[in-house]
Amino acid sequence: MVKIICEGDDDKSFIRQFLQHLKKEEVIPSNIVNFDSYIQSMKGKSNLLDSEKYLTIEKQIGKKIDKVLFIFDCDYIEDDNRCGGLENSKDCIENLIIQLDWSIEVDYYIFNKNLDYFIIDTLDKKDYFEDCESCFRLKELNKNRKILTCIYKTLYPKKPYDFSHKNFNDIKKKLVNLFKVESL
Amino acid sequence: MDKHLKSIDIKDFKCFKDFKANGFKRVNLIGGKNNVGKTAFMEACYINLSSVNIDSAWRVLSLTKFRRNSLEYIGKTLEFKDIKKDFETTKTVNIDSNINQLYFSVLNYDGKKEYKFKINSKETIININEFSYNYEKNDSIQFIDNFGLDNSELKDMFEAVQKKDKEEVLYSYINEFDSNIVNFKVIGGDKPQCKVDGEYRDINEFGDGLKHYISIICSLYACENGYLFIDEIDNGIHWSQLDKIWEIILKISKEQNVQLFATTHSKECIESYGRISKKFEEKEISFIELGQKNKKIESITYESDEVIEQIYQNQEIRGW
Repeated sequence: MVKIICEGDDDKSFIRQFLQHLKKEEVIPSNIVNFDSYIQSMKGKSNLLDSEKYLTIEKQIGKKIDKVLFIFDCDYIEDDNRCGGLENSKDCIENLIIQLDWSIEVDYYIFNKNLDYFIIDTLDKKDYFEDCESCFRLKELNKNRKILTCIYKTLYPKKPYDFSHKNFNDIKKKLVNLFKVESL
Repeated sequence: MDKHLKSIDIKDFKCFKDFKANGFKRVNLIGGKNNVGKTAFMEACYINLSSVNIDSAWRVLSLTKFRRNSLEYIGKTLEFKDIKKDFETTKTVNIDSNINQLYFSVLNYDGKKEYKFKINSKETIININEFSYNYEKNDSIQFIDNFGLDNSELKDMFEAVQKKDKEEVLYSYINEFDSNIVNFKVIGGDKPQCKVDGEYRDINEFGDGLKHYISIICSLYACENGYLFIDEIDNGIHWSQLDKIWEIILKISKEQNVQLFATTHSKECIESYGRISKKFEEKEISFIELGQKNKKIESITYESDEVIEQIYQNQEIRGW
């Protein structure tokens, strides 16, 4: 079995939707049914990058889990966080992988800034959303653009994100590789 | 019972070649795919705990074998040679735990068979004719298989309820299960009956779930300071009764100091187990997940908080 380890429930929900899309595209196996069982939320980036928080998953490594993919946000370097920003995040995850020392295949994908920022960049009406963001000075309230993705979900509750957008290509490659038949 | 079973090491027994599991608590639920060895795991624990001398080891090894083959004997008169024949198909058993060490093997010299037992460092070689049926039955270790208890076994278990003056408690649990039933008795020696509309009716006239439910409650009282094994615990039980069953199990197992092991395939049963453990802040529970990789059976034991978290995150813990 494979496991995707992410920060929180929003990330889990996004990854679930993405996997559903990949299943429709027939690039991951059709026999995968309960997507949630492949995704573990760590309840925050600090937990995700803390090797002490993996006691339960460690019991499963090598027995039940053969392959792991970490997915998380890099956040902002100015956040005065040891793991803020893309480069620091890479260092932190690579250190974590060394500390965990799992004898299985482990990979990671980091969203530039954060998931909401990343999603807004893929919307076909991106300009409208950014105008809205400027008008209401939303970044002053929340620089992570969570408000904008909430507006999107409210306006288009039944329209999924455009997962065929080129910005999703890298994470798609990682997920397809994770679910290659021989690793299940 | 001095100790709970905490760990087991099964070297040769049925599907297990070299298997270890540990971290067991007072109440343990076991999950895994078909044919991964859930029942065999419980049988190994049962055999290990029951094997305190040669008579008990021979009896429990035969009984375990017989239980699985029991359907083959329906309509036939069971004879000693049948039990012997079943027993002799077992070649080697090697099961160690924190409670007992058991090693058994069949020695074959030029067609002459002898049986080697090593129980807690004491080694004995014996001929099958020397086995004794005059064993002292240990009532505090019980195994309810997936067919459930028969009437005679249920009568024995109910005696423990009577001896402890817990009949009223049992009646109230039965009434919560089915509000039409107001009483339960063993009438005419070995006929368990339930009272409905002023009349006693044979328990076999009711659904299998009711008999299973009563068997579990009575067995919990019978196994005071002992061990209870239940194969497919949710057999015949409607999902809406599962919370009640777990509540009863957590309560009586604590009160009577019973260590319980049970198997299930049901997600609803596991969710109920987690939900009730959380509700009562019960830490003395575990979930044992069995799985197979490269033909080797392995286990993962989750503690109370881990079980609850795995359920909350909708993770699959019913084997791999």
